Amino acid sequence: MKIFWAFARQHFHSTAIYRFDFWMRVSSIFILMYGTRWLWITLYSQRPGAFGVSLGQMVTYTVLSMAITNLFFTGPPYYMAGQVRSGAIDGDLLKPMDFHFHMLARSTGEMIFRIFTITIPGMLAGYFLFDLQLPASVQSGVMFVVAFLLGYLVNFHLEFLLGALSMVTLEIDNIDWAFHATTRFFSGQYVPLWFFPGLLGTLAAILPFRSIFFVPLSIYTGVMRGSAITQAILFQLFWAVILFIVSRWVWERVQLQIISQGG
Amino acid sequence: MIRVEHLTKVYQRVKRKEGVLGGLRTLFSTEYETTRAVDDISFHIDEGELVGYIGPNGAGKSTSIKMLCGILVPTSGHIEVNGLVPHKERMTNALQIGAVFGQKTQLWWDVPVIESLRLFRDMYKVPEAQFKHNLNLFNELLDLHEFQNTPVRQLSLGQRLRADLAGALLHNPRLLFLDEPMIGVDVVVKERMRTFIKEINHDRRVTILLTTHDMTDIEKVCSRIMIIDHGHIVYDGNIEKMRAQYGTQRTLVVEFEEEVPEFSVPHATLTRTEGKKKWFAFNRFETNPSTLITYVSTQYPILDLAVEEPEIEAIVRTIYQQLPASVEKAER
Repeated sequence: MKIFWAFARQHFHSTAIYRFDFWMRVSSIFILMYGTRWLWITLYSQRPGAFGVSLGQMVTYTVLSMAITNLFFTGPPYYMAGQVRSGAIDGDLLKPMDFHFHMLARSTGEMIFRIFTITIPGMLAGYFLFDLQLPASVQSGVMFVVAFLLGYLVNFHLEFLLGALSMVTLEIDNIDWAFHATTRFFSGQYVPLWFFPGLLGTLAAILPFRSIFFVPLSIYTGVMRGSAITQAILFQLFWAVILFIVSRWVWERVQLQIISQGG
Repeated sequence: MIRVEHLTKVYQRVKRKEGVLGGLRTLFSTEYETTRAVDDISFHIDEGELVGYIGPNGAGKSTSIKMLCGILVPTSGHIEVNGLVPHKERMTNALQIGAVFGQKTQLWWDVPVIESLRLFRDMYKVPEAQFKHNLNLFNELLDLHEFQNTPVRQLSLGQRLRADLAGALLHNPRLLFLDEPMIGVDVVVKERMRTFIKEINHDRRVTILLTTHDMTDIEKVCSRIMIIDHGHIVYDGNIEKMRAQYGTQRTLVVEFEEEVPEFSVPHATLTRTEGKKKWFAFNRFETNPSTLITYVSTQYPILDLAVEEPEIEAIVRTIYQQLPASVEKAER
């Protein structure tokens, strides 16, 4: 556990250097919150009752989605591809740490850092300025945290697999773009999945991506209740375990290639 | 401490084609070229030894060090580092070794040096008392406190290498691999790092393998020297033995009272003339200085003279030049 804090501490230090980048990030979150709130207010004023949930729930869903966006995409693919390109991967492999765990610690350290510097201020601003409501109930609040952590693990492993792929192909930009477009769409980051019709809806229900935004946000807003929550969490757990196993299997092979070909 | 038997590493890479279309053809190529980076080397290093590992660029030094660190798998042969097979027990091996690669830093680029060291402490699970004790030692010997709060990217090269050295030693490794740790630093820092390396070796009994291109490092620091070229170890022994074996050529420098014409001396060759001075090279097994001096003094009046020992650099150059250059081309 200590190692997670150790990495979080590193991010506090490096962010002190990239201050401009940090403030840009914070302000872009605020702009997105503002924009998404106005979008839904406008849509609801045109067709009230057409969206299945109340305006308050809808705005809460999307504003909260913006506040937690940065907790997910912590960038392991870029780090992993960069390390192989520059040869610095040698330094990582020299450490008495499993590389997969190292990446998890690194990524989680950054996530912890962002909770304090981006998400909490973002949620406060959301509460006071952008109509972000409190969790639907205490149970919703607690299960939201559980679902968020599972969603985080699912996303981390998807990103880790992408990183492992980029270590072999040495390419990242295009794959990363396609990956994020898919993730953002099927995870319900901007548009909740209950709007997805027919086949698209089925696809979104099967794929692991809905673990990332849709499940925690639906629980928080109270759209998902009771046994549906248990089912959704089991779904997340299932994908987290599958992706963990696949990550281990893939990494064993990628590592073997790196250490037999010399990076 | 280190046992290496018949170690071989062959790299296989897709053969690149030249030109613009060549780049495209490389995409579909199934042709591979192989390079024998390390070819059947064997050596043993005992605990507490400080071994200089030298050789021309591309000789296989870094490849063999990476195999000893466990981050590269040998093609064939056997390695044992303090009882462990590095690439099979990479993480356990990582706890007993430290490594500095002069070309690239292992510290985090954006954060102050001290924060990088704290992260190392957590990764290697170094006890707090040992961490403090080592920091004090590094402050004393490497002046770490002067730049410990500066981010790594703002350090001078000399400071960065000292910080890397501190990072590699934080967990009290039994073995230290230094791959060109003093590349490009000034004489003062160099001298300080040499002293530090010697002290670490002497006081803590840390076994050290040092790669360098600076023969002064070897002369001042190492007790044993291994020369590798084209993947083969061509010399392994101490420096005195190397001098005796290869450094047979000496030079007699004579300054005459006035400029004198060229003349021949038995068993010696005139290599250089500069004003009143002349340089005569001779093999110490064929003749000796006193015979030469006696002979020369009968020819012309002498003002001053000196016998030059061969420099270690010149000896190494001789060894490099004697090597067969055909080994690499014989591959494919």
